[in-house]
Amino acid sequence: MRIAQDIAETIIDPKAYAVGTPIDDAFRVLRKEAPFAIAEPTGVDPFWVVTKFDDIQLIERQNDLFHNGDRSAVLTTIEADKMVREMMGGSPHLVRSLVQMDNPDHMAYRRLTQAWFLPQNIKKLEPRIREIARSFLDRMAAFGTECDFARDVAFLYPLHVIMEILGVPESDEPKMLKLTQELFGAADPELSRSGDAAQGTEAGVNSIAETVGEFIEYFNAITEDRRANPRDDVSSVIANGQINGEPLDHFAAMSYYIIAATAGHDTTSNTTAEGLWALCNHQDELAKLKADPSLINGHIEESIRWTTAVKHFMRTATEDTEVAGQKVAKGDWLMLCYQSGNRDEDHFDDPFAYKVDRTPNKHVAFGYGAHVCLGQHLARMEMRILWEELLPRLESVELNGTPKRMESSFVCGPKSVPIRFKMN
Amino acid sequence: MADTDFKTWQCRTCGYLYDEAEGDPTEGLAPGTRWADIPDDWVCPLCGTPKSDFDMVEL
Ligand code: HEM
Repeated sequence: MRIAQDIAETIIDPKAYAVGTPIDDAFRVLRKEAPFAIAEPTGVDPFWVVTKFDDIQLIERQNDLFHNGDRSAVLTTIEADKMVREMMGGSPHLVRSLVQMDNPDHMAYRRLTQAWFLPQNIKKLEPRIREIARSFLDRMAAFGTECDFARDVAFLYPLHVIMEILGVPESDEPKMLKLTQELFGAADPELSRSGDAAQGTEAGVNSIAETVGEFIEYFNAITEDRRANPRDDVSSVIANGQINGEPLDHFAAMSYYIIAATAGHDTTSNTTAEGLWALCNHQDELAKLKADPSLINGHIEESIRWTTAVKHFMRTATEDTEVAGQKVAKGDWLMLCYQSGNRDEDHFDDPFAYKVDRTPNKHVAFGYGAHVCLGQHLARMEMRILWEELLPRLESVELNGTPKRMESSFVCGPKSVPIRFKMN
Repeated sequence: MADTDFKTWQCRTCGYLYDEAEGDPTEGLAPGTRWADIPDDWVCPLCGTPKSDFDMVEL
């Protein structure tokens, strides 16, 4: 079954993700009328659109049947795919991180840093992260009664945390923020490197490749340093790590830094900014939260579901199989639509309502299965600390203008949330 | 105290913790449910990893 052309074009349109409602509307129709069907937008290879929560989990759980690496792991155009393959000696990927790997490599590479990211290990970072959160909130208070919460707080705090974890000096943070936004904001005219929203074209691929090149140059120097002077940071784990008794292959090591440096903050920033935006629009939920701080974890989980900062990942079938009663052929490409899964009426009561006390709240914003987000505990801890510090100081908050999301069909969230507030 | 015998198990993929003392009522596992009494086809509620890929942990 093929989905209607206008819907196929909408669900890949970066501008539609920036607005939000066209995406929710498109997926609402698909969940009802074509929950698992093929989209053929202009200039893009056909792919299955997976809209239901249960189907997303079913596919993600079978990571040998549905690979990450056989075709592009994120949506791309026919033109961009061709260029990347020419550039990369036939591979559809510009980097080789956990996201592009399958077993046995995936498991081996993931095990390397897995323990570092477990709750019992990152707990030791809590006092330092709290200090960082407080310093950003002091800055927010210093703005007086108005600021842009996305730009002035939400984007800077998780960036600072992940850069400390990687051991990147503070003076290099603006560079890291710029490079990350060039990667994830490649389709956004304000954020992309070439400034012309050239995603999916030859110019777009070239500028992404240049961004990757800059990252690699930067992390080469870090690797050398950590080999000479190992520290208790993730960069040292990557620099000195071994896979089957050998050091990591250079490209994979570089890709490891890039995924940690990029996935590690934009997503958390987006969720934090969108979380405050939601509270501004749902003052009753804000009042509930202020009255009962034990709801903070509920608010965080709901903000993660609500934002679903990662909009999709792609999978490729390794064999002929069946999903939702339909035949999927070996080599078929599938789009896991996390935002749709997180609004699935069969899984959530009243999915379009923001509820800080939603229980249960099992969502797919961190994915599922072998590739489930490596940084989920860190992300939750960072957000818990920020809200624990912010809420008691926040006397009132409301929107002071119209928030704006970045234009992206991959990682998407607010780039601006202007607020008026009172803080003590 | 019998409680001291309770163990905690952790998913190797995502870090989910199963504490025998607390169980996981949302999964239909009452407090006190022993690891050995959870069916072998049970999977991690957060990421779907099979029961065989959990480790016993001391926190
Ligand atoms: C609210 C914040 C975050 C969201 C919504 C998020 C979301 C996701 C999603 C959807 C995936 C793909 C999972 C799948 O394929 O099933 C993923 C993977 C990943 N995330 Fe996150 N993430 C967040 C924060 C972080 C942080 C703080 C880090 C820190 C390093 C991180 C590192 C990674 C890595 C390394 C992967 C690849 C894992 C793999 O393929 O094995 N993420 N994340």
